[in-house]
Order: sequence, then C-alpha cells, then structure tokens
Amino acid sequence: MNILTIALRNARKKWVRTLLLLLVFTLGVVSIVSLNFVSRVVGEGLEKKLVSFGANILVSPKSEKLTVSYGGFALGDMLFDVAYLDERDTLGRIDTIALRKNISVIAPKLVVMDRVQGKAVAIVGVRFGQEKLLKGYWTVEQGAIPGEAPVPRAAAVPAAPMPADAGSHPVSVRPALPLSSAKASAPAAHPGNGVLVGSAAASKLGLKPGDAVPLGTSQMIVTGILAPTGSEDDNVLLADLGFVQQAVGRPGKANFVEVAALCSACPIEDIVHQIGAALPGVEIKTLRNIVEQRMYSVLFVKKLILSVSLVILLTGCSMVGISMLSAVNERKKEIGILRSLGFSRRAVFSIFFAEAASIGLLAGLAGYLAGYLVSFRILAVLELGDGAHLAFEPLHLAATALILALLTSLASLVPAWKAAAIEPSEALVTL
Amino acid sequence: MTEATTASAPLGTAPLLEAPILEAVDVTKSFTQDGTPTQALKGVSLSVAPGEFVSIVGRSGSGKSTLLSVLSTLLRPDSGQLSYNGLDLTRATEAEINALRHGDFAVIFQFHYLLPYLTALENTLLPFMRGLRPVSGAQRKRALECLERVGLADKGHRLPGQLSGGEQQRVAIARALVKDARILFADEPTGSLDSATGATVMELLGQIHKDGLSVVMVTHNEQYASLSDRVVRMADGLVAG
Ligand SMILES: Nc1ncnc2c1ncn2[C@@H]1O[C@H](COP(=O)(O)OP(=O)(O)O)[C@@H](O)[C@H]1O
Ligand SMILES: [Mg+2]
Repeated sequence: MNILTIALRNARKKWVRTLLLLLVFTLGVVSIVSLNFVSRVVGEGLEKKLVSFGANILVSPKSEKLTVSYGGFALGDMLFDVAYLDERDTLGRIDTIALRKNISVIAPKLVVMDRVQGKAVAIVGVRFGQEKLLKGYWTVEQGAIPGEAPVPRAAAVPAAPMPADAGSHPVSVRPALPLSSAKASAPAAHPGNGVLVGSAAASKLGLKPGDAVPLGTSQMIVTGILAPTGSEDDNVLLADLGFVQQAVGRPGKANFVEVAALCSACPIEDIVHQIGAALPGVEIKTLRNIVEQRMYSVLFVKKLILSVSLVILLTGCSMVGISMLSAVNERKKEIGILRSLGFSRRAVFSIFFAEAASIGLLAGLAGYLAGYLVSFRILAVLELGDGAHLAFEPLHLAATALILALLTSLASLVPAWKAAAIEPSEALVTL
Repeated sequence: MTEATTASAPLGTAPLLEAPILEAVDVTKSFTQDGTPTQALKGVSLSVAPGEFVSIVGRSGSGKSTLLSVLSTLLRPDSGQLSYNGLDLTRATEAEINALRHGDFAVIFQFHYLLPYLTALENTLLPFMRGLRPVSGAQRKRALECLERVGLADKGHRLPGQLSGGEQQRVAIARALVKDARILFADEPTGSLDSATGATVMELLGQIHKDGLSVVMVTHNEQYASLSDRVVRMADGLVAG
C-alpha cells in the first residue's frame, strides 16, 4: 500500500466510470491502430494501381540539341543525329539495379514519323504487355489491342472485326491475327502487324479495324481504335515494337524507355540514381508531376488517417479531462482529508495524474493488441489479401502505450492542478 | 497571559504554569462571499498548554470552526501571530506545515471524513500512504493497535459505508492516534451522532487526553465542554471569556 493504492482503489470503486473511460480510449486506439495497419496495406496496393496512370521515370539517350536563332528569327530546335537505345541492353541493365523490386513497369518505345494517306502521323512501337500495365485507363472502342481477342461482344462473332470492305485491302494477312487470338482469350498471341489507333488519329485518317496502314516496306492492319484518353496516345498509331523495328530497319532499337517505379517506400531519386549508374551516358529524367500526383493520393490517405486519429484522441482526451474535472469536484472532501494529513500538493496532484496515466497506458496496450487483430479482420473483409505482411512490432506497442499515457496525463493536468490547489479548510469545515 | 480570565475547568491541574505548546495572538480572519466581507475572527488570542483539554463553545457563526482551522494550520490567518513549539506558523514553509499536519497535528470533523473506497484499516493507515514507499509491517501493526484502542479491532476490513456514524468517527480518531499526534483538534466531533454514541466518542477523547495528548475541541454540548480543563467562549469573532 502506498499513494498509488489511493488512485487504484478509487478507480476500482468507480469501476463503471473507469471501465467506460478505458473502453472509449481503447476503442479509439483500436480504430487508430487498425486504420494505420490497413492504410499501410491499402496504400501499397493503391500505389500499385496508380502505376497504371503513367510512368514516372524517362530513360532516353543523351542527344545534342541546338536551339538555333539567327537575327532574332527562331529556327526551332535542331536535333543532331537522333540517338537510339539498345532495347535488350537497356532493359537488361535496368533489371540489375538494387531497387528493381520497386519498378513495376519498363516500357521501351520507338517513335517513327510517317505519312498515312498523305497526312503526317507518329507511329509508336511499344510492347503491348508493358504498355497496358502503364495505361490502365485505356479502353478499346472498336476491335482489340493487337495480339488480343476483341472485347467479349466482338468475341462472340469472330469475324466481326473484318467488315465487308476488308476485302478491298490489297494485303490479306489480316485474318491471321484476330482470328487466331479470338479463340485463345488469354496470354495474347503475338501482335504481329496489328496496330492500335488513337481516337483522334483514327478520325483524322478515317481508319477503322481491318484497315491496312503502310509502314516503310510493310503493311500494318488496324486491330482496334482507342477511346479518347486525353493524352498523346490519341494522336498516334501504336504497333508492336518488334514489328516497327523491323519495318523501319532499326532492329533492337528504341528511342526511349518509360519506367514506372513505386516510390512510397523509397525516394524516387534513389531509383533514378541506380538506373543512372547502370546506364552510363544515358539521360534519366523524373516526371515530377506524375510522381507528385501519385504520392499525393497515397499521402492524402495518410493525412486523412492522421486527422481522424487526432480527432479520436482529442475526443478521448477531452473525455478524460472533463470526467476528471468533475471527479475533482466530487472528491474535494477526500482531497481535504489528504491535505489535512500532510499530503503535499504534489502528492494530491500525482494521485490524479497517476490515475489518468494508467488509463492511457492500459488503453494503449489493449487498443494496440485489439487493433492489430482487427486489422486482419478488416483486410479479410475488404478482400485486400492476406494480411500476412502485417508485422507485429513490440516497439510500436510500447510507443503506443507510452504516447497514450502521455496524452491522458496531459489531459489530466488541469484537473490534477485544480485538485492540488484545493485548500483543506474550504473542503472540510461545515458552516 | 491572555487567557487568565478564561474559566478554569474542574479537572484543571494548573495548566497555565507550563509554557504553551500552541499560541495564537490577536488572530484575525475574514472571508469575502458574494462581494461582502465577513470578519470571522476579529482578534482572537488563545494558548494551549501541553496535555491541556480546551473546549471552544459559542453560537453558530461565532467563528469557532474558523479559529480551529487557523489553529490546526488548515487556514492561514489574515493577521496576528501563531506559533507551535517555537515555530512561527505564519511564516512556516509549505513543507513545514505539511510535516506538522503529518505528525504532531491531528484533526477530526463533525462528518468523520474517511475515504469511502478504503477499508477502516486502510483509512487508519492513510497517513503512511503519502509517498511511493509501501506501508511497513510495523505501521500496519500499529494501525491495528489503534483500531483496537477505539474498539474496532474486528472491523478493520470494513468500508466506511458498512460502519455506523460513531464507528466512522472512531476510525477517524484511530487515524489521529496512529501518527502519534501531540494535539488533537476536533470540530464538533459528536455533532452528527446520537447522544449515546456521542458519549462513547467523548469517553474516548477523554482517555486520549489522559494519555497526554492536548485536545482542542469545538462543541455545542455544554456537558461535554465541562469535561475539559478549560472552556473558551466565543461570540461574534471574539473570545467572550
Ligand atoms: N469559507 C467561508 N467563506 C465565507 N464565509 C465563511 C467561510 N467560513 C466561515 N465563514 C463565515 O465566518 C463566520 C464564522 O464561521 P464559522 O467559523 O464556521 O462559525 P462557527 O463554526 O462558530 O459556526 C460565519 O459568519 C460564516 O458565515
Ligand atoms: Mg462550525
């Protein structure tokens, strides 16, 4: 028995009040802890999904650019001999960096300018598999992505992408792709000479699925039209990189490589640095905008959770504060007795302080443990996969308990101070 | 001596020959309530000799409780002198006051204040629960002895709610005894008790006094007052004689 016995016995006597305070705080901590656990998992998942909104690192060969202006007349930028990247070498080297696991998409590209029906248009060679990961927002309006089955409604009628006028085209290699891939819906057949046309380009050039488009000495067949994306893809023709390389006589070459890196865990600068080291003499740019936008969503979730947590904690602390304040008024006489027995102001203060701190400590411990368990349940219910990677960290448990104890102690400062200020005579003497 | 005129009690054994253990000189105290000041003590002088039993009587509102609070350090006077065993209580530090309240001074009240969530024994041990150091076996033994002394040896485990008014007051007395106080201040200790219970409490106070404790008791009961060494009459914030 010592001074803490007084706080303890009182808490036990007023067990309903004590339990209620504990419950409120524990529930608060449970919400905060599980929100954090879940948000960590969801945040990672979210970022992975956000990758489909574009690359954030651009790898391109160093090229000399000269801005020519003469006598105040701008002649535009002159690009000295366009440089190319070797596709296999570049991809191979990016594969070796230490932070490879943070890279989700590597999309090489070769851009060729050509004239189709007399109109200048860019033909972009891409690896459709990677490109689709990068451009989750793509929807194919008519037909399908080269090498893939058309969207279900079209799949029902295998011949659908070939309208009647298809026969008017001089080259008849076309049935080979759409037909063969129409049956096997999954892992695409080789896209071959298929071409995916941006919406603006399609209307400008009057292209529709099945149309043939010349490229160098070869022919491409339109397999699908993209719905408007609002991006540069609207104005270009997208074909398989290998096919474009062959058709324009640049086998194995690419103009640039777009990389999508997950950077919630590590700074993107590190990834850029590592790619730079693996690819000397190559220019690596961060697409800041995209990085920031992507991080914004993740950070937004974090901020939201932080504010919710703050509100919960503030509510809990005010509850402790108010409840203690009324307890101090109720217990004026007790305080008077203690003071008349020689208890110092500090001793009275610490009785109230200790009571509040232990409520915080207990709520922190119980809340963290319960929150940890609840997180698994939430993740299961939300079907966010197994929470197997929710690591239980004893250090966090201790930190949570300590922080909670600190917060409730802070909340009890004013009531405890008021208690300490009570004079024994005013509390005890009956008039 | 300022109290020369005070009526001597029948049991008195010339207490004034000894130097007073507690002495108040010309003490004043006023309260302000709702903007109007009340002069509760208008210059009261009183001294208590070692082992003396002093009763303070007077009408309600005459300042008895205020005087007792001032004497027992529960209230600081506005002016005047107050000394205990040579220590100037008007200038004492908070720590000195606390030490006094913890040691030599003991106070009991009309409403036998006990902590409702502590047992009779724990309430008796309360003076030893000031800090983090746990109550010792010796202290516990002493508390049990004190409970026995007030006739509650078998009720130490009971909570105040399970005790009668007289029993609660006796626990409060046991709490005063446990710390080996030298002066017991009692503000109407029988005020809320029926006469039979009040009599047993008075009997107890008489025994304690016989054991050498000084007692300063405020009471309404002239009969109880007559048991003391000396009766101090108060009227309107002054000692009437
Ligand atoms: N805390 C206080 N605040 C205001 N007035 C008080 C206070 N304590 C006592 N008084 C006033 O001081 C006077 C003396 O009170 P008190 O000492 O309690 O008298 P008694 O104990 O003799 O009945 C009364 O008029 C009372 O109203
Ligand atoms: Mg009174």
